[in-house]
Amino acid sequence: MNQFKYISSKTKEEVLKILEQEKSEACIVAGCSNVLPYIKDRKLPAKLLLNISDIEELNYVKKSEDEIYIGAGTTISDLINSKIIKEECNVLYQAAEQFADPTIRNSATIGGNLADASPAADVAPPLLVLDAVLKVESIDGKREIPLKDFFVGPRKTVLHDDEMITNIKIKNYPINKNGCFIKLGLRQAMAISVATIAMVLEVEKNRVKDVRIAMGSVAPIPLRLFKTEEFLKSKEISDDLIKEAIQKVREEVKPIGDVRASAEYRRYVSGILFKRAFKKLTD
Amino acid sequence: MEEYKVELTVNNEKISATAKPEESLLRFLRRNGFTEVKCGCEKGDCGTCTVIMNGKTIKSCITLAMQANGKEVLTVKGLEKTKIGQKLQESFVRHGAVQCGFCTAGMLMAAKGYLDTNPEPDKAEIRKAISGNLCRCTGYKKIVEAIYDVAAENYGLVGDINV
Repeated sequence: MNQFKYISSKTKEEVLKILEQEKSEACIVAGCSNVLPYIKDRKLPAKLLLNISDIEELNYVKKSEDEIYIGAGTTISDLINSKIIKEECNVLYQAAEQFADPTIRNSATIGGNLADASPAADVAPPLLVLDAVLKVESIDGKREIPLKDFFVGPRKTVLHDDEMITNIKIKNYPINKNGCFIKLGLRQAMAISVATIAMVLEVEKNRVKDVRIAMGSVAPIPLRLFKTEEFLKSKEISDDLIKEAIQKVREEVKPIGDVRASAEYRRYVSGILFKRAFKKLTD
Repeated sequence: MEEYKVELTVNNEKISATAKPEESLLRFLRRNGFTEVKCGCEKGDCGTCTVIMNGKTIKSCITLAMQANGKEVLTVKGLEKTKIGQKLQESFVRHGAVQCGFCTAGMLMAAKGYLDTNPEPDKAEIRKAISGNLCRCTGYKKIVEAIYDVAAENYGLVGDINV
């Protein structure tokens, strides 16, 4: 085992100071549900474990006039228990309900799921269709990163090693209220997904007024399907439209084959998930 | 190797010990005599290591021992001192929900943790509550029925975290 050091932080300021000193030698831990397995597999290069799970100022769900703010340290269980998330960002609520299992949901955090940046991260597709913006801080200041610009590869993000995600901002667009999340896994719980889809949709006079689609586990990063969205906008809803859109989806995803599914299956089922989600939101 | 002081309460007993930063709460508990907390996959998949920390179920194999500092932990040996714990145990035995017994501690803790949040679950909700706990023997049906019976008969008793 590595020789680690440990600090448990009580404030965000303290965390940022330590990150500034230690940079990539520090690994932030909250739920620790991914980090401990990495340590056991000797895959964690960091030397300092920096615990933020007791920092209350990072755990909240707040709503202002037209924006919702989620603290990065908010657990998945807290998301499920939040009336604001259930009513205003139901697509995120649906994902939280299918995340791992109830026990892990008590520990895992929304910030951790994003920072870990697995292509299968379950909170990512809903946050992508909600056009979420991350607030990222260092001791030198803060910046805002739209989630669609955050992931660059499997387990790779644009975070600098002295930065941490502090909150997630969601603008309260009306389209956010009509959302669907579907997770396809090899079992009903505790599943790393084979494919996931999140969709929000606005329909006017049987035409697609606006639509946002994101998928997980079908590309190196959680993916917004911008081309498919462009194709669908302002088109009249029909079975033919769905058929064509399914093709667009299958062209846009970039899956690999792994222990859970082949690339061909993932490509095929992406179209099916699109159809199911679209039909659910238009029926 | 650097070890840090850890002070926590386990089953109402104050424990003062040391732990390495990367040590899991599971290993720490077992090393300090709480071998009723079982070690299965040590990856967070099987749930045999489930305990309750500050009122919520957690998987102790993917929690750092250091993260339990200053907290209250309940294991199955603490649970069996409570009324609801005894009722769960008795129901498990009556329903034949214990075969090899290895998943049982984790199942009991998951059940207790869930009933504290929802004292009136239906069977689908119970299945969901134990969805992080694997059992290779029973096929789950008897475990679900054992938990369901306890909830159904003890509505006034469950949901009280002190019982």
